[in-house]
Amino acid sequence: MKLMSKISVVWVFLIVAIIVVPLTSSSYIIGVMCFVAVFGALGIGMGVLMEQAGIFSLAHPTWFGLGAYISGILAVQGVTPPWLGSIVGAVCVAILSVLIGAPLLRLRGYYLACATFGLLLVVEISLAQLGSITGGHEGLMGIPPLTVFGFTFETDIHYYYLSWGLCLACLWFLYNLMGSRVGRAVRAFSDSEIAAGSMGVNVPAFKLKIFVLTAVMASLAGSLYTFYLRFTQPGIFGFPLLVELMTMIIIGGGRTLYGPLLGSFVVLWLRELIHIYLGKLLPRMTAEVDAIFFGVLIIIILVFMPGGLAGWVDRLLGFNRRVIEKATG
Amino acid sequence: MKKPQAESMLLEVKGLSKRFGGIKAVEDVSFGIQEKGIISMIGPNGAGKSTFINVVSGVYMPDAGEIYFAGEDVAGLPAHTMASKGLSRTFQLEELFINLTVLENVLVGCHTGGSSGILSCGFSLPSARKEERRLRDESMECLREVGIAEKACNTISQLPLGERKLVGIARALAMKPKLLLLDEPAGGLAAHEVERLVQLIYTLKERGLTLFIVEHNMPFVMSLSERIVVLDEGKKIAEGIPDEVKKNERVIKAYLGEEVA
Repeated sequence: MKLMSKISVVWVFLIVAIIVVPLTSSSYIIGVMCFVAVFGALGIGMGVLMEQAGIFSLAHPTWFGLGAYISGILAVQGVTPPWLGSIVGAVCVAILSVLIGAPLLRLRGYYLACATFGLLLVVEISLAQLGSITGGHEGLMGIPPLTVFGFTFETDIHYYYLSWGLCLACLWFLYNLMGSRVGRAVRAFSDSEIAAGSMGVNVPAFKLKIFVLTAVMASLAGSLYTFYLRFTQPGIFGFPLLVELMTMIIIGGGRTLYGPLLGSFVVLWLRELIHIYLGKLLPRMTAEVDAIFFGVLIIIILVFMPGGLAGWVDRLLGFNRRVIEKATG
Repeated sequence: MKKPQAESMLLEVKGLSKRFGGIKAVEDVSFGIQEKGIISMIGPNGAGKSTFINVVSGVYMPDAGEIYFAGEDVAGLPAHTMASKGLSRTFQLEELFINLTVLENVLVGCHTGGSSGILSCGFSLPSARKEERRLRDESMECLREVGIAEKACNTISQLPLGERKLVGIARALAMKPKLLLLDEPAGGLAAHEVERLVQLIYTLKERGLTLFIVEHNMPFVMSLSERIVVLDEGKKIAEGIPDEVKKNERVIKAYLGEEVA
């Protein structure tokens, strides 16, 4: 119970902080925080898939991109209003991820990584080549803002609350899920598929379920991203985004549910700091410094904090169940 | 598919064979397990005991033969279907979920006892919360039964081997099985731990559970079992009550070698 109340305090603190920040901040800070939330929502799902379910799928940027493109195209062509387009996008991604996941999830480890990486490249190239519909390499232009029941989301603050709403909803949903019957089955088969199967867990079915669930979350984040930027481009959803997400998961800590969100916050703000301060000092070198800095940071984290920042924070706050409940148990 | 004469048997195996490439791990094995009681399988290393248990529990597909469980043809069904039919098992190397606590391990055993899906769990609906409380109570009950309730919140790595074996049994009991397969439950245990295990197995038998034990530890098997099946090089070489098996020439040969007899 003591653990539960501690966790509730953190939830309340987090929500209050998120509500208060934009009231006192510049639009620059609000803008960066929007991206923190969108990539956080994306990273949380990918973290659960890779670290807790043990499914080494690299297709996450693809579901994000497909969500963005499907809802974007539907809105540009005027087929559906943006909010409905986001839902259509999520449904399409769900269907696609079932069709692709059912055969691919028979693969394990690096084989699955290779196959899903292939999917990532195929989708990126297809989006670039289908110029008449997707706008090709130049990207999709003229995306209208998101409107829901006559209310138009226009300013950064609107999207700030929307993206943090989505991010916290994903966090809350997965928090409930991973502690429940379904989440236990998922964590169990990542430890031993044979034992989980012998306990009555239909392993292939649960693999597909968690794969589709996180793909749908990525798709919704993608739709939000595209309506916030009002622009989208195939290159956004390729290898660089994959590296970015992996960086966030490693730095934040994928074994802990909120780790990738913390990683998203740290990575994006560190990058802003590098660009602000180094931009003046070494104006032509920021991209190189950025790459070297995060490369070194990943190595340091992997060596000294294998559980990522979140694992370290958990130990600090005594959230490590193993320690806490040992006393009560 | 019902089969008339199998109805008195809980598990019936006929002509079961399993090959790995050119190696015949299990060859033409037939016998039955009656409801209520303890039957054991013994045999030297590499006799095919673990393969046999893996085929019966659905981890491997049989190459030939029939398996009837409670009168139903179950040969070739996957492990999770066998589990939901009431066959539960432990593993020689425990196969516990190391990233889960002891209680959570047993809760996975309750998986078939629940039905909440992704949405009701994710949105934490009252039905899912109620089910979770019920499963937790059931799991604690199983941990109490094997005598390690006070370790519920520990991780697996904090437990000694003897208690890990007990977690495996508690996890299997949580499935409320009709038939419990124990794969080398006494393997690697100290004498006092074996004693504790024997007590537990008797309690389970009293409760009306049917147990099938695959084991190396001869005194353990001889004292517990009502019937014993002996496997050697994948074939059944003897079956009977412990005293018969002990005197059987082929069994002695299999265990001690040709010259000694």
